[in-house]
Formats: sequence, C-alpha cells, structure tokens
Amino acid sequence: MIVAENLRKTFKSKTGDVIAVDGVGFEARDGEITGLLGPNGAGKTTTLRMLYTLMAPEQGRVLIDGRDVAADPAAARRALGVLPDARGVYKRLTARENVRYFGELHGLSREEIDRRTQALAQALQMDDFLDRQTEGFSQGQRTKTAIARALVHDPRNVILDEPTNGLDVMTTRGLRGFLKQLRDEGRCVIFSSHIMQEVAALCDRIVVIAHGRVAAQGTPDELRAQTGQDNLEEAFVRLIGSDEGLHA
Amino acid sequence: MKSMFTVWWKELLELSRDRRTLMLALVMGPLLAPALFVGLLTLAETRAKDQMEKPLTIAMVGAEQAPNLVAWLAGQGIQRKDFKGDPDAAIRSQAEDVYLRIGGDYAQQWRDGEPALVEIVHDSTRQDAEVPVRRLENALARYGQQVGALRLLSRGINPAVAAPLAVSHKDLSTPESRKGIAMAMLPYLLILSAFLGGAYLIIDATAGERERQSLEPLLATPAPRGAVVSGKIAAACSVGLLSLLLTLLAFKLGASVAPGIARQLDMGLMSIAKMLAVLLPMLFIGTSLLTYIAAGAKSVKEAQSYMTFLMLMPMIPTIVLMVSPVKNQLWMFAVPFLAQNQMLLKVVRSETVPPVEWMVYFAAGFGLAALLWFAATRRYHQERLAISA
Repeated sequence: MIVAENLRKTFKSKTGDVIAVDGVGFEARDGEITGLLGPNGAGKTTTLRMLYTLMAPEQGRVLIDGRDVAADPAAARRALGVLPDARGVYKRLTARENVRYFGELHGLSREEIDRRTQALAQALQMDDFLDRQTEGFSQGQRTKTAIARALVHDPRNVILDEPTNGLDVMTTRGLRGFLKQLRDEGRCVIFSSHIMQEVAALCDRIVVIAHGRVAAQGTPDELRAQTGQDNLEEAFVRLIGSDEGLHA
Repeated sequence: MKSMFTVWWKELLELSRDRRTLMLALVMGPLLAPALFVGLLTLAETRAKDQMEKPLTIAMVGAEQAPNLVAWLAGQGIQRKDFKGDPDAAIRSQAEDVYLRIGGDYAQQWRDGEPALVEIVHDSTRQDAEVPVRRLENALARYGQQVGALRLLSRGINPAVAAPLAVSHKDLSTPESRKGIAMAMLPYLLILSAFLGGAYLIIDATAGERERQSLEPLLATPAPRGAVVSGKIAAACSVGLLSLLLTLLAFKLGASVAPGIARQLDMGLMSIAKMLAVLLPMLFIGTSLLTYIAAGAKSVKEAQSYMTFLMLMPMIPTIVLMVSPVKNQLWMFAVPFLAQNQMLLKVVRSETVPPVEWMVYFAAGFGLAALLWFAATRRYHQERLAISA
C-alpha cells in the first residue's frame, strides 16, 4: 500500500520557481490498480519520482506499507518495483543479464534470480528474446525487459510511469493482462498515463492530476457522479478544464 | 560491498562485449606511446650522430683569400663546397644550414698580424643547423688558438702567458642519469595514460548511462549510491591499470629492440613495478575526478569537452621544470602531477627514493583521490543526477 500525503515540489528556472506538484495526496491500496491520469506536464512523473524516493518532497510525506520512505529510503526501494520514465537497458547485455544485474543489486541469490526471471519471462512473453543482447530490441521488447528487471525482487508495490508509451496494440493488450495479473496477486499497482481510455479500461481507482494538483479522485463511477457526466471522457474534460491529452 | 562488486563486474562485462573500444583501450593506446617515444629517440640519436661524425660540406665565400684555413678545415672534416648564387638566400630558403664568409681583407689582415674577419652565417632559429654551426665554431676557435700560439712562440713568448685559465669539464653524471635527460618526456606520457586511462569508461558509465536513460532505474534500486559509484570507479581503475601495465611492458619491449639510448633505459622489472606503484594514485585521482565531472555534466559531450583541458594538466610540471629546473624538495611530493613527474624521473634515473618521500607521496596522492571519490559520491546523491530527460 502506498500513501502520498500533501506532496509539493518546485523546480528552479530562469523565470522563477515552477511549482510542479502542489499538495498532491492519494492512497493506492493493495489488490487494486490506481491510475494517475493527467495531460503532459501535469506533474505525474514528478509525483511518481517522489514515491520511489528519487526526489525528496519539500512538503508532505510518502508512506509505503505504512512506513515513511524518508526514514529509510533503501527499505522503501526494496518494497517497490519501479518502471521509471527513463527505461534504458544495457545494450551490450542480454535481456537476462539486464534482469540479473538488478536482481544482484537487490541482493537476491542466483537461484532466486533465475526462478524469478523464468516466471517473469513467461508472464511477459519474452522467452524468444531473453538471451539476445538488447541492442536493436523493439520498443516493446525493451519495455518488457525494463518491467522484468523492475519486478525481479517480487515487490509488493509496483509503480509504472506510462508503461504503454510507444507500444503497439497487441503489446499493450498483453501488458494490461499482466497488470491485472499483478493486481490479482494482491499487489498495489500504480501507473500513470495521459490516455483516458487506458485508465478507464484498467483502473480500480483514478487520480486525475492537472497543473500539479489533484483535480479529482475515486472509482470511475464516483468520477462520473462527481462531474454529472455519464461519459468518463466528458468527466475528464470537465475535471482538467480542457480536452488536452484526450486524443493522444 | 556486494553491490560494488556487482556494479564492477557488470561494467567490465559490458566493456568486454564492446570489442572495438576494448582494442583501442588495451592495444592501440599502450602501443602507440612507446612506439612514438622509442621511434623519436632513435631518430634523434641517429641524426645527432650523423651530424657530429659525417664530413661537413659547406659553402665558403672568399676561400681564395685563405687557402691555409680552408686546407686546415678540410683536415678537420669540414670541406669546401662549390657554390654559385646568393648564399644568404640559400640560408633563408633552408637549402643550406650554414656557410663561412671570409672577409675581403683577410689576406691583408693576416699578413699584418691583425685579427682577420671570418663570419659564420646561419639562421639561429633552425634546430637542424645547430650542430654544424657548433662544429664550425669549434674548428675555427682551435685554428685561431693554434696560430696564436705559434705566433707567440715565434716571438719567443710562452703561449701559456696568453692562456691564464685552463677550462675543462668533468662530467659527473652517471650513465643512468644521462638516460634520464633523454627521458624527460616519458613521465608526461605515463602520467597522462594513468590520469586518463579509465576516462572513456568512466564518462560512459556516468554521463553515458544517464544519456541512455539507464541511470534512473539503477538509482531506484536499493543499492547504496556510494557502492554504485565505487563499483564504477573500480571498473575504470581496473581497465586503466591493465592498460598502464601493457604500456609499461610495451616500453620495456621497445627499449630492448631499439638501438642506442633506448637500449640503455632502466626498464628492469623492478623499475617497472616501481613506476606502476607511482602511477597508482594518479589512476585513482583521474578516475575519481572524471566521475565527479561526468556526474555534474549535462551530457557525454560536455563531459568529454573537459578532456582537452585535462590532457594539458600533466604537462604543466614537465614544462615548468624544462623552463626552470628546481631541486627536489619534500613538499613537491605532495603536489599532484609534479610529484608523479619527480618520482618517475627518480625511478628512470635509478635513484633511490627515501621512505619518507614514498610516504608523503602516497599519503598526498591517495588523500586527494579519497577526497575526489567523496565529492563524486556526493554528486551521485544529487537529485538532478538521476533525472535524464
């Protein structure tokens, strides 16, 4: 379970401070998929980076499984599986070696890594390219490798930043199935997206973020009720105040 | 510790897959510097020998005025050359190194017992003309002395009266230290390859990894940042050490096959081991410094543009010492680059290095390396490091 409380982050720029995230708070429960929905530049990636301790919030705090991440960032990272916005893989290593490297950094034994690699390769359908060097991988193959290495230590909580970005329809479908599988295993899954349809198709709870703030949150039904719109798309437009990102 | 080893191993594995870079780092680099060095030394030596011993043939203007002088010079291996045209122009166009102009009144002045004018005409900015000019000068001086002495004798005066001083040189340089002069450039080459031997790997592993967007996922793992940095530095140092060892062995090989000076270099196994020990702190300083720079640079390009500047740094003490040589003092062994330079010179000159100098040297070298390592680790803790896009 991941709880974000009143997170705030500003960046310095030449024209003055830019408030990227302003008072964002939400709760992502175990056994649920929580979607962070918002247009580009809304502050989703910054929010996620604070969740996985890459950035320290100026205000507020993050609790993972009830523990404050600021107190023990290493423990928080151990409890998290993270697919960041940056998902570069090592080109000279095979997909299996990429996953193994991260497993070793998590302190897993060789047998454990092999067992997890096999399970993940099967779930993500990556058997046919598992032992190839990742140079020349397709976007989908790279993303799968990055997801496998993020989950090699079998974390209870999973954070994925725009996981379907740049993937084709079939790969996206496969990935959705995989995320549902993670949820059914009782994990807490958070993913961000700027595509309304995707969030609608997958999420148990939706957090709509616009201009660094939470515009609304709740189940899809609650959002529809809150805005008085039958259609989730209309509800989204109403919430963020524009139709930006809808047709991406 | 385990994470550090994991990072170290992965960096080396990745490098070992990159055959071309590996070849460049481990074969081209270590071979090029020694080949260049030995080649240049051999060339300089054979050239100097040629100029010193071969008969010198030069133009002599007004030779008919002084047949005795010309004949005497010929006996000294300086022959007259038939020359038509403007000799000054020939010097300017570098067709001739030097020529001798015998004054128009030479014969008259000679008979009157007055100093007769002879001119050595040359271009002092041409290194190539240096040896012939010196030979001609010496020969003329000897001739002048000889004739002067004869003239005094014929007047019944002891020539020793006109020579109140007898100046002679006593060279106390050992054969070993003479090699040292020839090796003034060697420290620079070695320091440079130690300082920047791991450069490409470390820039690639820090700024490159950030550019390829694999640093953010790496830093999101529970591995301590200090271990990640140390693993990367250790990998670069391993490669640097191997390349340094190969360079030194190539020097040894080059010294044993090349003729002349190169054959006499102190390149015994003991001195190679000492040189390696001297260069070890430099390796750590270089890699830590580059990690620090690369972690602060926005791109690989930016990190690499520091290289030109860094390549000049080891040159500073070599140049300063060439311009104004100073005696060794203890504080020098604490100054980076200068210390390495002095230590290496001592080793190739087969001098013994007192333990206190070794101690100051290692304390200062590894101290600075530790400081840079700490600074690099601090930079890895910065938030903006991980954010690539």
